[in-house]
Amino acid sequence: MVTPFLARRLNLLGLLACCGILLVAFWYQFRFGEVPCPLCQLQRAAFAAAGLGLVLNVVHGPRPSHYAVTILSAAAGALVAARQIALHVVPGTGAYGSALLGLHFYTWSLIAFAGMIVAASALCLFDRQFAADGESGPRGRGIVGTGCVVLFLVLTLGNAASTTAICGAGLCPDDPAGYELLDRFLAVPRP
Amino acid sequence: MMVLPFLGLAGAAGAAVAGRRGLALGLWGLSLLGLLLLFRAHATDVLALDF
Repeated sequence: MVTPFLARRLNLLGLLACCGILLVAFWYQFRFGEVPCPLCQLQRAAFAAAGLGLVLNVVHGPRPSHYAVTILSAAAGALVAARQIALHVVPGTGAYGSALLGLHFYTWSLIAFAGMIVAASALCLFDRQFAADGESGPRGRGIVGTGCVVLFLVLTLGNAASTTAICGAGLCPDDPAGYELLDRFLAVPRP
Repeated sequence: MMVLPFLGLAGAAGAAVAGRRGLALGLWGLSLLGLLLLFRAHATDVLALDF
């Protein structure tokens, strides 16, 4: 059965997967120069929001409210991803960004959010994990857990920096062509 | 504007690590609300598509 210890480890795995998704997004952004559109950035924010529920489970121990954070955030992310899929679902309406294994990132995003909702809901079925394990704080999360939480924090702040560079302080352009604030700061002439 | 959810969530993660669980949940709620409002503003974006 799912003990508090096992639940923390499973949440840690989920957090690692969440960090992996944000890292892949950064890889495509900086390696291939794919500037994320506003809907793409909102999906990243939803991954960060869903990851926060996992962070809370890893740091403070599993609670139903922490799973609710993950489920509600993933539902919001799925809404954004589904909207972006709908923009491109009609044949001949093109696509945004490159594809990975035949699917575009917003499609992968919807699959990932759906998986998160199912996994978090399924984990909620095991009541024994909610018994007090007396290991909240650094002792409960271990070195790997602490490292994972720090990585998540760095990735969230990295996304904040990237978003500021692309959009500046206002609303993002519908179809960003570059790093607006950074270009303005470096006085790069825009086409 | 788009940076606000990320900043809120980073603050929430920091609060969670610092043991301020209530603050973390509050910041998460505000960030999610901001995310949904921004989605409302961007839901009908027109993109330059690659045909």
